[in-house]
Amino acid sequence: MNAVGLHRKLEENAGLLIFGILFVSAIGGLVQVLPSVMQESLVAPDVGRAPYGPLELTGRDIYIREGCSTCHSQQVRPLLAEIKRYGPYSRAGESAYDRPFLWGSKRTGPDLHRVGGRYTDLWHRLHLLDPRSVVPNSIMPAYPWLGERPAGAAGDIQAKMRALKLLGHPYTEEQIAGAPEALAGMMEVDALVAYLQVLGVAPGGTP
Amino acid sequence: MPSILTIIRRPTEAFEALARSETDPLAVFFKQIVWLALAPPVFAFIGASAFGWRLGAAQPLYLSGDVLTQISIAYFFALLFGLVSTAFVGRWMAPTYGASDALGTHLALVGVVATPLVAGSVLHLFPHVFVNLLVLIPALIWSIYLLYKGLPIALGTGPERGMLMASSLVAYLLVGAVTLLGLTVALWASGIGPSIGV
Amino acid sequence: MATASNVTPAGPSRESYRDRVVTALVVFSIIWSLLGMAAGVHIAAELVWPNLDFGQEWLSFGRLRSLHTNAVIFGFGVSALMGTAFYSVQRTCHVPLFAPGLAWFCCFAWQIGVLGGGISLLAGWTGGKEYAELEWPFDIAIAVVWVCFAIVFFGTIARRRIKPIYVSNWFYGALIIVIAMLHIVNSLAIPVSISKSYSLFAGAQDAIVQWWYGHNAVGFLLTGGFLGMLYYFLPKHAGRPIWSYRLSIIAFWAFTYSYIWAGPHHLHYSAIPEWVQGLGMVMSLILLAPSWATMVNGIMTVAGAWRKLRVDPALKFIVLSLAFYGLATFEGPMMSIKSVNVVSHFTDWTVGHVHSGALGWNAMITFGTFYFLVPRLMGTALYSVRLANVHFWLALAGTMLYVLAMWGAGVSQGLLWLSLDEIGELSFSFKDIMASMAPYYALRLVAGIVFLAGAALLAYNLFMTIRGRRTVPAFPPAPDAASQP
Repeated sequence: MNAVGLHRKLEENAGLLIFGILFVSAIGGLVQVLPSVMQESLVAPDVGRAPYGPLELTGRDIYIREGCSTCHSQQVRPLLAEIKRYGPYSRAGESAYDRPFLWGSKRTGPDLHRVGGRYTDLWHRLHLLDPRSVVPNSIMPAYPWLGERPAGAAGDIQAKMRALKLLGHPYTEEQIAGAPEALAGMMEVDALVAYLQVLGVAPGGTP
Repeated sequence: MPSILTIIRRPTEAFEALARSETDPLAVFFKQIVWLALAPPVFAFIGASAFGWRLGAAQPLYLSGDVLTQISIAYFFALLFGLVSTAFVGRWMAPTYGASDALGTHLALVGVVATPLVAGSVLHLFPHVFVNLLVLIPALIWSIYLLYKGLPIALGTGPERGMLMASSLVAYLLVGAVTLLGLTVALWASGIGPSIGV
Repeated sequence: MATASNVTPAGPSRESYRDRVVTALVVFSIIWSLLGMAAGVHIAAELVWPNLDFGQEWLSFGRLRSLHTNAVIFGFGVSALMGTAFYSVQRTCHVPLFAPGLAWFCCFAWQIGVLGGGISLLAGWTGGKEYAELEWPFDIAIAVVWVCFAIVFFGTIARRRIKPIYVSNWFYGALIIVIAMLHIVNSLAIPVSISKSYSLFAGAQDAIVQWWYGHNAVGFLLTGGFLGMLYYFLPKHAGRPIWSYRLSIIAFWAFTYSYIWAGPHHLHYSAIPEWVQGLGMVMSLILLAPSWATMVNGIMTVAGAWRKLRVDPALKFIVLSLAFYGLATFEGPMMSIKSVNVVSHFTDWTVGHVHSGALGWNAMITFGTFYFLVPRLMGTALYSVRLANVHFWLALAGTMLYVLAMWGAGVSQGLLWLSLDEIGELSFSFKDIMASMAPYYALRLVAGIVFLAGAALLAYNLFMTIRGRRTVPAFPPAPDAASQP
């Protein structure tokens, strides 16, 4: 029996065909993706790195909500020009607390992984609320609504921290209990700026 | 050989003339193809040495005379290869689509189809990438129109088969263009050409 | 033609093919194509005039962009795939659709899901993973509809009257099975509220899982699914069987096996392990072989059929889509080579590459299929062949313009970002390079408008065709009829 004859069997039996497709397409995932998902060192946080504080975490979720990662990467490549432009290249341990990861796939705007501490809080505020007031020919959208809404309204911060604790982020009960207080009086734009300011530097403390 | 004016004003007539004439490949090559391949590099050489390349960013990019000469010569051979290889690929495809397999006719057809693009390349005299794109893209669309329209007439095949064959040639040209782009970029990354920090 | 040949003297108990659900899916697909492409044109305009969001959250680029991708992939693409799968599986199996009620459920539940999902994206509900943005309630809904789709599709196959399962069904089957697997794994998350969840995977692992999903959503939905469409409608149109059956077998299994490995080429020079990147690149290069084998098979199928071929707009679209399929499946492996990727990654070249596939291949083969299918479903002639021919040229010009504008933008960005001057300092500031993109973005906007105008012509043309319908039921042929579709 030749190969085509063998294949006849496969295509005359729907069950076999389904199984065949599932089996053949799963091999790549099992050999390549599964070992990576099992590899603890890939998601081991750098020594001394704490998870995002309540304000930064809120800021990060706003960053996700507004789709910032469609135009900004957070992944400095180990290339001479890129290190000169942005700073040290990105390492796996730096995104251990990133769910989801936000490395991005497009740089319509610049990479942001090393943006923390580069500009003042005030510059970021102005830039987020009206980008063209500080960068005249910027094509970034303005986000005026970030200045109008309290940060505490952007989702239940305690529920978020508890969910992340479940996933292994080392939050203490005191931190979770004190989270609403950390957001008190802050607007969404403050949270987002706090997040941007810890990008590429060790996050953890509240400002 | 149909003149540019005929190609512009009465394309069908030009292609019919092409189909009737017995064309010697070598004659077409030396009378037409070589010159079509020569014009853009010459324009580019003059433009780049006089004004520098503007890739959009503020300062124009000036290249030294030696590098410029090398690039222009490479450009010439790339174009020559593109034109001639398209004719050969066309001739290779011809029996499948019931088209004429006279190499001379294929070369002449490629020459006619390339004419709008070569005419548009006059803009290389002012080497600003966007200005060039703005002119070369309509020229390219016109070239493709000529290909679809002219191929069945010049190669004596039905409009159906001609249309299929033209699409196959478009596929070849698209892949050729992207290969050229990839090769160029890979050369940059390996240190040939402009200095980039990788 | 197809309809006429399938009509046999019907006994009273004879069931006809269930084609109304197909028509509904085609209509929804066309509506999504207009909505999705209009969203694309709007965000293209926002990159030229950033104030076009009028200070409205829901019109903001970051939100509208995911609406654009979701509406064209899941609205336009999947509705078209579901519709053509329902159409072709009946004809290749010679039986009416299994569980037609469930098929109608799939049709409407999917539309409601995409519509609700689209609104939720505008409201800022997003998981933040590219091409998998929808939040967990929609992820669950998608999984449920997908299972129903599988039941209808494989149920029809199980009741088939001819023994061999035709090749188009292998591809539709792979679409259903593999997308289910990818979707479920990549969507694993802990919900926090109705609109928010956290991915089960973190950082580098999340990246690997996401691009295993993202690349293969392209692979099995936008490539494999549409190959199913090609394998049914191209031979049907050419009136002869596929050129090489043997080649289609080899290409199918090689494709299914090798596509899965290629995802990590989206993560070159990142913090994922070196061996994963290397393997991703090698497998991407290998992938060229099955991709092009399928293209050759398609081209040779029509190339040998010219004697009986009547070239109508439908065939033009399908043949041209093969040319762009050839480009996209060559360009992709090329861009996965590290020394090309180092320049192309993060630039608009990637956007151009995606659109050479999405406009040139997916949209064109779908347009061609619709021009073929709708008149047959309606039992009437196409309203205007001339309009369809105009559409052909608009689609070709729009795609070419798009691809060229993005090649120009992408290569300039890649070169200028990396270029160093004589003393080894950066030559250009990011702001200057960004500002210099304006003309390319304007050109891309024009390309989008041209392409959208073509799609609008199609919508008008097919709407008029449907208005002039006379419904003709089609009956499955007797089991001993020709086994070729």
